[in-house]
Amino acid sequence: MLYLDHNSTTAVDPSVLEEMLPWLGPRLGNPSSIHTFGQEARRALDKARAQVAHLIGAQPDELVFTSGGTESNNLALLGTVASSRCPHPRMAASAIEHHSVLTPCRHVAERGGTLLLLGVDGDGLLELAAARSSLCEGMLMASLMLANNDMGTLQPVGALSERARELGIVLHSDAVQAAGKIPIDVKALGVDMLSLSGHKLHGPKGMGALFLRRGTPLSALSFGGHQERGLRPGTENVAAIVGFGKACELAAERLQEDAAHMGALRASFEAAALERLPGVVVNAQAAPRLSNTSNLSFEGLDGEALAIKLELLGLCISTGAACSSLSHEPSHILMAMGRSPAQARSSLRFSFGRENSQEEVLRAVEILVQATQSMREGR
Amino acid sequence: MSWEASGARQGPRIVVAMSGGVDSSVAAALLQKEGLQPIGVTLKLQECHEAKESRSCCGVDGIARARAVAGQLGIAHYVVDCTRAFELEVLRPAWEEYSAGRTPSPCLLCNEHIKFGLLLSWAQRLGIPQVATGHYARVEHSLKGEPALFRGVDGEKDQSYFLAGLSKAQLSAVLFPLGHLEKAAVRALGCAMGLSTAKVRDSQDACLVSAENSFADMLRERFCAVGRAGPIVDEANKPLGQHRGLHNFTVGQRRGLEVPSSKRLWVKALRNEDAALIVTDREEALLSHRFVATGMNWLVEPAPGSVCEVQVRSRHAAVQATLLKREGSCVTVELHHPVRAVTPGQAAVFYAQSRVLGRGWIHLP
Repeated sequence: MLYLDHNSTTAVDPSVLEEMLPWLGPRLGNPSSIHTFGQEARRALDKARAQVAHLIGAQPDELVFTSGGTESNNLALLGTVASSRCPHPRMAASAIEHHSVLTPCRHVAERGGTLLLLGVDGDGLLELAAARSSLCEGMLMASLMLANNDMGTLQPVGALSERARELGIVLHSDAVQAAGKIPIDVKALGVDMLSLSGHKLHGPKGMGALFLRRGTPLSALSFGGHQERGLRPGTENVAAIVGFGKACELAAERLQEDAAHMGALRASFEAAALERLPGVVVNAQAAPRLSNTSNLSFEGLDGEALAIKLELLGLCISTGAACSSLSHEPSHILMAMGRSPAQARSSLRFSFGRENSQEEVLRAVEILVQATQSMREGR
Repeated sequence: MSWEASGARQGPRIVVAMSGGVDSSVAAALLQKEGLQPIGVTLKLQECHEAKESRSCCGVDGIARARAVAGQLGIAHYVVDCTRAFELEVLRPAWEEYSAGRTPSPCLLCNEHIKFGLLLSWAQRLGIPQVATGHYARVEHSLKGEPALFRGVDGEKDQSYFLAGLSKAQLSAVLFPLGHLEKAAVRALGCAMGLSTAKVRDSQDACLVSAENSFADMLRERFCAVGRAGPIVDEANKPLGQHRGLHNFTVGQRRGLEVPSSKRLWVKALRNEDAALIVTDREEALLSHRFVATGMNWLVEPAPGSVCEVQVRSRHAAVQATLLKREGSCVTVELHHPVRAVTPGQAAVFYAQSRVLGRGWIHLP
């Protein structure tokens, strides 16, 4: 099977697995224990925290380990609302955020808050001028992803952060897709919070972190332990944290190389796809994008059926965010970009990883040619 | 870098509609044993608004059970969202029938338009020519390749009635691996193969029932409709009372008639024009000798005046009948012995012994 679905998840890197294994076996300590085993585990946590911090230019004490991107986003949004004690919190988020940002925002809005959705242009890029003027004094927080999961478009987080800072608005950024694919410096970005996930960068699933700039107020959402400064109580998932740390270290080391490699793969892929496949449109092509993501629309075809046809021919890809694949709702991202439901339903996401090769990419295009031809004939 | 999925994926592919019950699970397993490569598909027919309560209202547990058994067999499994088509092709027409005082047959519509309509074309678009299901019915092919539909071997479980509206083209593309088996044998096979669904209890029409409501009332709520209230009258059109919604009644029904009467009353007919419910205290008034079947789907064209058997409800036995006048897609049917509660809207399925000749919709003159 050819796997071009790295924005859904990536394989745990062998060196990551190697670092994790002892913590699933003989190294049994609870980081809160005072004895040797506990100390050993505590030190492993510290090391991992430094590795993660290094990837995004943060200080180790600015990181809270969580169970992944979804929890990080929820903690950032709902924790800020809880800490504000504001009965009618006003929030802003781009219309193309992941559901793990939009849904908690709507949850707040349903309970007395307000949510302002910031629009994007036809390439899936935030309408910056409009967004800047929509932010206003008294607004509690804003959330803007660093890179979109389906299109790969890089959002102008740095440009929005100046405005947010002037107005005293807490700025959160979901960097789950961006981390490990583009350089991230939380100081240069000027964000107060930033979400990370382990399994998108060859770390384990069920592992993530929230960057929390020193001094940013946040309330816990669960209680009963001192771990992660009380912001995320409960005994730490040591093996996963160790793996996440190693994966971040690896990502930092390989970032330029990986990005260049995946960029070359995508360039060949899109060139071949446009040449070989009639009626194909590359979405968000004009926007700055993650180098590994390519979103194509296949005019007149149903994306979900095409995705299954591709799998039968040996190619695994996604119709969009994996979390929404059970429902046949058109992608809210393409809808926000002004596409019709039919156009949105005809789109597929191809996302490359460091293991992919040029040969695989060309084979993927061959499979696409075969699949689209047979589906168009079968109508 | 190439990744391998777990499980053996070999042989010609065939789509198997898997509901999460024992029948479709065993069907998939039998096809796999024959060397085919089943692709399991569960149809999502309705949105679940109570997903957090994990009820069987919309087949969500069915999806999970089908996924589990596909995992056991090591076969692919997809969920195909048919909610819109199910609403347009099955639920809405069913509600329109109820509001017109008729009693719809939604399972036939679902088979004709969804399982062997939408799903079959979905499969064929993917280059997979056939769809299999766990129905108890048989398809046999003549030397010329013409398909013929027969009752399943298990007379208790036979589902040919629900499949009689399929076209020959549809029948040519379906496989019913359980048609030659008894239900008990299927369950035993499921147990012997250790399938996780082997003990799931039968759930016929589970897609159409809800805990609180009748099917008709569920439809009324879904389409935000108001039931058509009207008079209850006797056979001489004398008013006896009022009812609150025509959709709550069907021919032959006794319950739910709020009429002060010392006699037992049955629903004899539902009158569309004024939403009247015609009741009778004579049980023999429920007997019909003749009806018209419309929208006929003939698998075997009958000669005029020919004698065959007809079944007018899914749980009824077939009875002898003569096919009288045929006009277009309609046929007038004379029953050799009167039948109770022949109900407009229900399917009339014609048989020659166990072979299905065709399907029509019942109209009373």
